[in-house]
Amino acid sequence: MLGVRALFGIGLLVTSRGGSVLTHTGACARIASNIYSKDLTHRQACTMADTIKYLGQEEAQHIDEELFDEYSFSVDQLMELAGLSCATAVSKGYPLQSLLKSPPRVLVICGPGNNGGDGLVCARHLKLFGYEPSVLYPKRPSKQLFQNLTTQCEKMDISFLTEMPEVQHKPQRSIPHRSHCRGARCFYFILHPYCVIPMYVYTIMYVCWDVENGCPDGIQPDMLISLTAPKKAANHFKGRYHFLGGRFVPPALEQKYQLNLPQYPGTDCVHQLN
Amino acid sequence: MRFVSLSVFYSKTEVATVETELLRDYHFGQQQLIEIWGHACAIAITKAFPLSSLSKKQPTLLVVCGPEQNGSIGLVCARHLRMFEYEPTIFYPKRSPQSLHQDFTVQCEKMDIPFLSYLPTEVQLLNDAYNLVIDAILGPETDHKEVKEPYAGMLVTLKQVKIPIVSVDVPSGCDVDEPAKDGINPEVLISLTAPKKCATGFSGKHFLAGRFLPYDIQKKYELNLPEFPGTECVIEL
Repeated sequence: MLGVRALFGIGLLVTSRGGSVLTHTGACARIASNIYSKDLTHRQACTMADTIKYLGQEEAQHIDEELFDEYSFSVDQLMELAGLSCATAVSKGYPLQSLLKSPPRVLVICGPGNNGGDGLVCARHLKLFGYEPSVLYPKRPSKQLFQNLTTQCEKMDISFLTEMPEVQHKPQRSIPHRSHCRGARCFYFILHPYCVIPMYVYTIMYVCWDVENGCPDGIQPDMLISLTAPKKAANHFKGRYHFLGGRFVPPALEQKYQLNLPQYPGTDCVHQLN
Repeated sequence: MRFVSLSVFYSKTEVATVETELLRDYHFGQQQLIEIWGHACAIAITKAFPLSSLSKKQPTLLVVCGPEQNGSIGLVCARHLRMFEYEPTIFYPKRSPQSLHQDFTVQCEKMDIPFLSYLPTEVQLLNDAYNLVIDAILGPETDHKEVKEPYAGMLVTLKQVKIPIVSVDVPSGCDVDEPAKDGINPEVLISLTAPKKCATGFSGKHFLAGRFLPYDIQKKYELNLPEFPGTECVIEL
């Protein structure tokens, strides 16, 4: 009777290394088990010895490029996972039952780039989770992907505002709105329990954070959701909740950039960093 | 895990109509939908077979992928299972020529997921090597009456395995609109979006996976889907 080694040995094992094919009897089982055990050992070593890496702008852009060019991910695939992470983080930080007002309204402000796209996906998932998102999307790119994401939101009865609502400064608990910053896959979320009038907002300033240096005069969010890996600007984050999202980084890419990502709990797509 | 009972099961024609509407009117992308389904499938598998419950030393599983959409869902599922620390191996004998499906293959290869070149007919080898088999061979888009090779032979082999089989959406070889009889008899069925008619009377573990369907469509087709708890995208039926 043939053993397990021979099972793999009979067949050809195609690896990811340029599609090379291995035909040696007995080699394949050892290679398959080596592939998996090496990755697990590496991850264990990382979590024990190293802390998570905070990326600079250039590195973050390189990682994005590799995900699309070498790993053949599509933007809409990763955007779906990123948006889902964001919605999940929101629901962990601001559970439905903890919100002040009913219905549980959230304002999602989307910028013109990929971050805006992440926001649209997030809004859609928030709606499915029972929140009542509205979207402010003043500059809509002509790319088909963004138009599609907009339609998906509209068809879920998510309203799109035509202008920024009026705000009032109140010495209350800060609950400003969700906002997007320029920068590689990093945006700042803040929940806004907007009631008709007045709105209670802590700070609204349309000054974007620099991906590496932050901005002391800019929005000071309560929650930060770092996608893929945190950026250097996150060192300046002073809010209550810092989540990591975007659970799609292939182990080889993580090793290449020494991201030292923590282990996500179970099948969760977010991990709280603080 | 909440258990809910379901009274509505949808037909092959309805499945096709809904999918056309999702793409044409709601502007979902096909890769987007496959990603949503594959991810939800992987989560359902972790609920049915948590890592700690697997009997073999390594958390191995075999994902058998057919040539069409069901196969691509299997590829995405394998990739997420890899992220969840399982050790999938894929058997994907006839790869789709469409570039969108090819991307899914590259993504799996780049995750170092091994691809077998053939499925052994010695069933004991499969029983020994893997904890379970994920059947992502034939979905509602396929004509189950005429199962061509190599799939007919594969189904013969898989029907004999002693390890649990998890079918994605439709047990391969079953007619989508009839209660399952001729095809694979899985231990676990993961219905995507809504259960199909062939799931009526399914006696194994049955999950509904994929939480994205706009309310308008649910109402239009009277799907009466259960409420997913919290932020879950999977519910046990």
